[in-house]
Amino acid sequence: MTAAGHTGPGFEHESFLHRGDGEFLHGVLGSLREGLARGETLVVAEPAPRLALLRDALPGADAAAVTWLDMSECGANPGRILAVWRAALDDAVAAGRTLRGVGEPAFVGRRDAELAECDVHERLLNTAFTGGPTWRLLCPYDRARLPAAVCRRALAAHPISSTTAERGRSPGWSGDDVEPLAGTLPAPPGAVLRGTFGAGDLTAVRRTVSSWARALGLARDRVEALELAAAELAANSVRHGGGTGGVALWVDGDAAVVEFTDAGRMADPMAGRRRPAPGQEGGCGLYLVHQLCDLVAVRSSADGTTVRVTTWR
Amino acid sequence: MRIHGLLPELRPATRTDHVCWVYDDPAAFGEIARRYLTEGLAAGERLLCVGDAVLEGVRTSGGPLADVGGLQARGALQVLDVRAAYGAGGAFYPDQQLAFYDAATRKARADGFTGLRVVAELSDLAADPGRRADLLRWEHLADDFIGHGSGMVALCAYRHDLDGEALTDVTTVHPLVHSGDGGPPFRIWFDGDVLTLAGALDTFGAQRLRAILDSCPAAGRRVVADLSAVDFVDVGGCRELARWAARLEARSGSLELRGAARVVRRMWALLGFDQVCDVTFAEAAA
Repeated sequence: MTAAGHTGPGFEHESFLHRGDGEFLHGVLGSLREGLARGETLVVAEPAPRLALLRDALPGADAAAVTWLDMSECGANPGRILAVWRAALDDAVAAGRTLRGVGEPAFVGRRDAELAECDVHERLLNTAFTGGPTWRLLCPYDRARLPAAVCRRALAAHPISSTTAERGRSPGWSGDDVEPLAGTLPAPPGAVLRGTFGAGDLTAVRRTVSSWARALGLARDRVEALELAAAELAANSVRHGGGTGGVALWVDGDAAVVEFTDAGRMADPMAGRRRPAPGQEGGCGLYLVHQLCDLVAVRSSADGTTVRVTTWR
Repeated sequence: MRIHGLLPELRPATRTDHVCWVYDDPAAFGEIARRYLTEGLAAGERLLCVGDAVLEGVRTSGGPLADVGGLQARGALQVLDVRAAYGAGGAFYPDQQLAFYDAATRKARADGFTGLRVVAELSDLAADPGRRADLLRWEHLADDFIGHGSGMVALCAYRHDLDGEALTDVTTVHPLVHSGDGGPPFRIWFDGDVLTLAGALDTFGAQRLRAILDSCPAAGRRVVADLSAVDFVDVGGCRELARWAARLEARSGSLELRGAARVVRRMWALLGFDQVCDVTFAEAAA
C-alpha cells in the first residue's frame, strides 16, 4: 500500500481489495502499524481466523493495544455493525483520540443474502459518518474468493479503494447521493404464506409467526426472538406505515423468512442501527430486531417499506 | 402455589380463591352465587353478600340458603348493599375497604366461623369511570389480603355488558377468571408475597399495566414479581416493568424479576434498562 490518496479531515472509508491471507496481512498490518505509530485508537473487526492471523503477526504489546472484535459475532447480522463503529468512534472521540478501524463485513463464507446486506451497511456508513469526526475505516475484500459482483459493489460503496499496489479515489465510487435503502429484495422462490393486518390483528400476527416458527422446529430462543420481532415490526407498520401492513412467511433452503411490508417510507435510513439511549422512548423496535435476529434486510422507498427477517435453521 | 387461570365452571374453593365471575344472565349468576355460598355454609364460613342482586338470586333459589332471616339471625349471613359498602356515590377509599374486610374476617373467626366468604356484585362501581381506578386498587389490595391466607375468599361478579375496557380492568386483577371470551390479555395476582403475572405484557396493555403496578401495595420493600407464566413481553411491556422498578427504587424499594424468558433479559440489556433501574433477575422458584 502506498501513502498516496487523500487523507483530509472527515471520514475516510476505504475498500482494500486483496488476494488471500498473504496480501490481507500485508495491507492490514501496514495500516495498523501506521495507526500505532500515530497513537491512534485501533479497532479490528474480523472473523476469528483472521483475528488470529493479525494478532500473531504483531508484537505482544502492539496486539494488546488493539481492540479485537469477532465480526462473525458482532456483525453476524450486518445491520448490527454500524452501531459497533458508532460506539467505537464515540469512545475514541471522548478519549480525545483518532479512531482507525479495520472491518471486514463481507468475509468469505457469507451467504448471498448476507453479502447484499453488507453492501447496504457499507453505503450507510458513508451516510452515517460523512461530515462527522475524522476517522478511517479500512474494509478488506478478498477478491480471490468473493464473487466478482461483490467486489464491484465494494468499489462503488467506498470513496477510496486500495490494493497492495496502489491507493486512491475508488474507480467505481457511485457518489454519496445513492439512497442505501432503495432497491428491491429477491422474490421468494416457492410457496409463501401471506396475510394482511390492521391495528386489531397485532396479537394474531405475533401468534401466527411464533407458531409457524415453532412448527419449523426452530429452537426456543429463536422462536421467542422471532415472535418479538413480529410484534415490533407489525406494530411499526400500523404506527408508521399507514395503519395496515402485510406479512409473508416462507422457507428457502436453510432460511426461515418472515417479511413485513407497508406503504410507509422510512424517513431515517439509520433507523434501528443506532443503539437507543437507555430508557429511550420509541425507535427501539427495529434496533432490537437487528440485535436479536440472524439477518435483517430493510428496503424503503416511495413505494413502501419492506423488512425481511431471516433465521438460519 | 395459588391456583390461577381461566375458570370455565365453578369448582370447590381453596382457602385463597379470589374469583372474577363475568355473567350474562342474572338467573344463572344467582345459581352460581347460591352454590358458592352453600359450599361456604357447609364449611362453617360466615357468608357476606354485597349487592342486592346477590341476595335476590340466593333468596329465590331455595336450598339451605332459603331461610335468609334465620341465617342472618345467627350471624351466618350478612348483607351489604353496594352503596353502604362502597360509599353512596362519593369517595371510595381502598384502604378503608381493606380495614373493613380485615375486621370482618377477624370478627367471623372470633364469632366461631372458619372464615369469611364474600360474593360481591360490583358492576355499578366498574361502570363508573371516575371510581374504576379505586376499584382496581381495591381488588388488588383484596387479592393481596386473600392471597396471604387471611381466611377470606371472594367471588366478584361483573355483568358482561360492561364496556370492554372496564371488564378487562377488573378481570386482570383476579387469579381466577370466568368470562365468555379468552380472558384478559394479562393477569396480576399475589401468591404470598410474590406478585405473579401471566399472559402478554405488551404495548397495548402498557397503560393498564402501569396503573395496576402503581397501585401495587408492595411498595417500600423488596418486591418479587414472578414472570414464569408470562408468555410474551414486548418493548412497551419491558418499559413498564423498568418504570415500575425505578419508582420502587425512588421509594427505597427494589424489584426482583423471577422466571423471565431469556429473550426478555436480552431485551432488557440491549435497550439499556439495566442502566436506568436496578433489577435483579432470578430463576423461577422450583
